[in-house]
Amino acid sequence: MFRFSDVLTLTLVRATIRMSTPILLAALGVIVTELAAITNVGIEGIMLVSAFMAVAASYWSGSWIVGILAAVAAGVLIAALMALIHLRFKANVLVAGIAVNMFSLAFTRFLLVNWFGVAGSFYSPRISPIPRINLSILAAHPVLDTLFNNYNLMDYLGIVLVFVFHFLIYKTVWGLRLRFTGVHPLAVETAGVNVTVKKLQALLISGVLGGLAGAHLSLGYTTQFIENMTNGRGFIGVAAMYFGGISPITTWLASLFFGFTEGVGARLQNLGFPSQFMLMLPYVATVVAITFSMIRQQRRETDKQPF
Amino acid sequence: MEPIVKMTGIVKQFPNVLALKGVDFSVEKGEVHSLVGENGAGKSTLMNILYGVLQPDLGEIYVRGQKQVIHSVRDAMHLGIGMVHQEFMLAPSMTVVENIILGFEPNRRSVVDYDAAAEKIRALSEEYGLAIRPESRIIDNSVGEAQRVEIIKALYRGAEVLILDEPTAVLTPQETEDLFKVIRSLKEHGKTVIFISHKLQEVLAISDRITVMRDGRVQGTLLASEATKEKIATLMVGREVFLNIKAPEGKRGGVVLDVQGVSARGRRRLSDLKNVSFQVHAGEILGIAGVDGNGQSELVEVLTGLRRVDQGDIFVSGTKITNLPPGEIRERGVSHIPEDRNRSGLCAELTVAENLVATKLKRPPLSKNGVIRGQAVRELASRLVEEYDIRPGDYRIPTRNLSGGNRQKVVVAREVSEDAQLLIAAHPTRGVDIGSIEFIRSILIAQREEGKAILLVSADLEEVLSLSDRIAVMYEGRIVGILPASEANEQVLGLMMAGGEYAKAQGEEEKVVEA
Ligand SMILES: Nc1ncnc2c1ncn2[C@@H]1O[C@H](COP(=O)(O)OP(=O)(O)OP(=O)(O)O)[C@@H](O)[C@H]1O
Ligand SMILES: [Mg+2]
Repeated sequence: MFRFSDVLTLTLVRATIRMSTPILLAALGVIVTELAAITNVGIEGIMLVSAFMAVAASYWSGSWIVGILAAVAAGVLIAALMALIHLRFKANVLVAGIAVNMFSLAFTRFLLVNWFGVAGSFYSPRISPIPRINLSILAAHPVLDTLFNNYNLMDYLGIVLVFVFHFLIYKTVWGLRLRFTGVHPLAVETAGVNVTVKKLQALLISGVLGGLAGAHLSLGYTTQFIENMTNGRGFIGVAAMYFGGISPITTWLASLFFGFTEGVGARLQNLGFPSQFMLMLPYVATVVAITFSMIRQQRRETDKQPF
Repeated sequence: MEPIVKMTGIVKQFPNVLALKGVDFSVEKGEVHSLVGENGAGKSTLMNILYGVLQPDLGEIYVRGQKQVIHSVRDAMHLGIGMVHQEFMLAPSMTVVENIILGFEPNRRSVVDYDAAAEKIRALSEEYGLAIRPESRIIDNSVGEAQRVEIIKALYRGAEVLILDEPTAVLTPQETEDLFKVIRSLKEHGKTVIFISHKLQEVLAISDRITVMRDGRVQGTLLASEATKEKIATLMVGREVFLNIKAPEGKRGGVVLDVQGVSARGRRRLSDLKNVSFQVHAGEILGIAGVDGNGQSELVEVLTGLRRVDQGDIFVSGTKITNLPPGEIRERGVSHIPEDRNRSGLCAELTVAENLVATKLKRPPLSKNGVIRGQAVRELASRLVEEYDIRPGDYRIPTRNLSGGNRQKVVVAREVSEDAQLLIAAHPTRGVDIGSIEFIRSILIAQREEGKAILLVSADLEEVLSLSDRIAVMYEGRIVGILPASEANEQVLGLMMAGGEYAKAQGEEEKVVEA
């Protein structure tokens, strides 16, 4: 028998938050680029390579910190590759993103075989995961314990970053110029600010955030690397960014919503519902993300001359 | 005294044209100096060089006596030179304050100090009488307001010399009056203003001195007090110009356009069309007068299939065209000079030839079995370029490279050569020099003589008065009255444009002409 109470439990709250973290980190990254008129679907590839590098570095060094640093470095490098394709060689940004994604998928598969001699996935007890945080005062109380304990560092970091980016985007000089870069690059340029530099900054920052998201997938959420383990979460991040109106706090809510759907989906699957629903989600998100990005691009065009 | 700006021997070569052929131009501190000249004379190019947008190939620039090389807009700003382009540099989705401070944000450790910004902007706004709404988004501002924002932006950045490139082309007469107050107040505060306009009346009213350009050269600089319209026009065009052509009354034929009780949703509530009815006959020019934004744009869009009619019907020569797609309306004999040439009149990336033939490609001789015949296209394009004196005369260059007025001529050439029964002309001479105004007006009259029906929408009362056989006045989406041109004058129209009915404007009830 199907009962709602089997699905809507306290642990679902946990699942929602945990599953939303990689989406949120990716979404924050693409908010920054989107504000600079770059729809960064390449975030998917950034996350995948970062997830791989996180596992590899953690495995060899035995330190999750080194793992995260490696993931961030990898993320920034892939973002720099995108910048090269898009900013230097002027390729369309969606095309650049898709190219980066295809490259990342093949590249990680190749490294998996070449470095670890396995195909499909890599797991080892030597991989050091990102620690979880447990507060003993909460542990005593079962409800509070399920709700608030046992998250890993990244889950907290994600939430902190929501507010950090809100501040950066809406309160600082940097943020103001970033927001103008997307909607009126010529005004930015004539104000003496280099638009290409702004766009490069935005891409590199999305590399950092994508790196964190990747590290969370392979060292936090699980402790292994699986081929294509991002499985559309980057795209879902892009969709969350649009649903959240390209603004950190509302995007956080959108990420929670996607995390929630994933959580419910997983549960329904356990209860015998067809797994295709879950598997469909990333594709739906992709379609949504790209549709929104096209609509926005058109609007940008028409926005140019309001008078 | 030393001029605040002095440009000597400026030469600028574009790929296809020598735009400036050794220009000397100087401006005294504290004066309002107008720059006039035909379309393509090089006014914008010269000013873009001063503002650091373009680099001269030859020539020198002195600011306050010091020789300067202005590499960028930022350099120009440091020298106290600011410019308001005709296309505003404002982001529609951002607020007024954000647009003004961009690039020069008051800040405390990189955090924008919005209070300090608002304070500084309020001070400027009060000092020069520039009314703005700092917290509003640009998109919610009128053109006039947006222009004031641009002026404040330039002042905020420390402009001592302010270049205004055709600021009045997009303004209503009232807004123009307000702008002139601002310019006078700028002058009182010791600022220098360089003012570009095609409207000689304005130029004479606001300037201290006037420099006339023609074909990349300066023809002379006059004191406004000693100049007359005729003098300037003759210097500009190189011959006498006759603006007030008034053709003999035409032979009015049957009804071509019949608009019956049309209502439609507008861009704003005030411009909703409300039960609009009128007719235009063959061999007649019906002028539509009104303050911009009272439904004229919507009316034109409805007639050309660009906006949905909610109620009522439209007939062209007896055929119903209500809510047909634009292409089909064209096929039924309607051609259209749109009000915004850049957005809906032209594709700037395509060549002049492509733009000239765009509406005729489907028919022979330009195409055969769906294949375009290059030879025929070139023949037609070169004929039109010649006939309409589009400059430069090379039809293979992208339309983007033409000056504003020449772009307008491309649109006019295309639409008039359609040879349609009904020509809808929205602001056909906006941003066009007086020589071309004369030319375009004479074309409209010639079309009328050929028995075409013409609907003329214009914010320029003088234009409406001198061309129209009858004049309809729009106010808040309604036609408040239609009167024969012989009974109209600026006072009557002015009152009606402010919402007064013709009867009241005349003070005699029985004179109302049925709409
Ligand atoms: N970017 C460009 N590339 C090529 N040619 C150009 C470019 N900008 C202007 N021109 C040409 O230089 C000449 C001068 O143009 P400019 O825009 O300065 O004229 P203008 O006096 O401002 O005319 P208008 O009154 O129509 O605005 C024109 O022949 C124009 O076609
Ligand atoms: Mg110009």
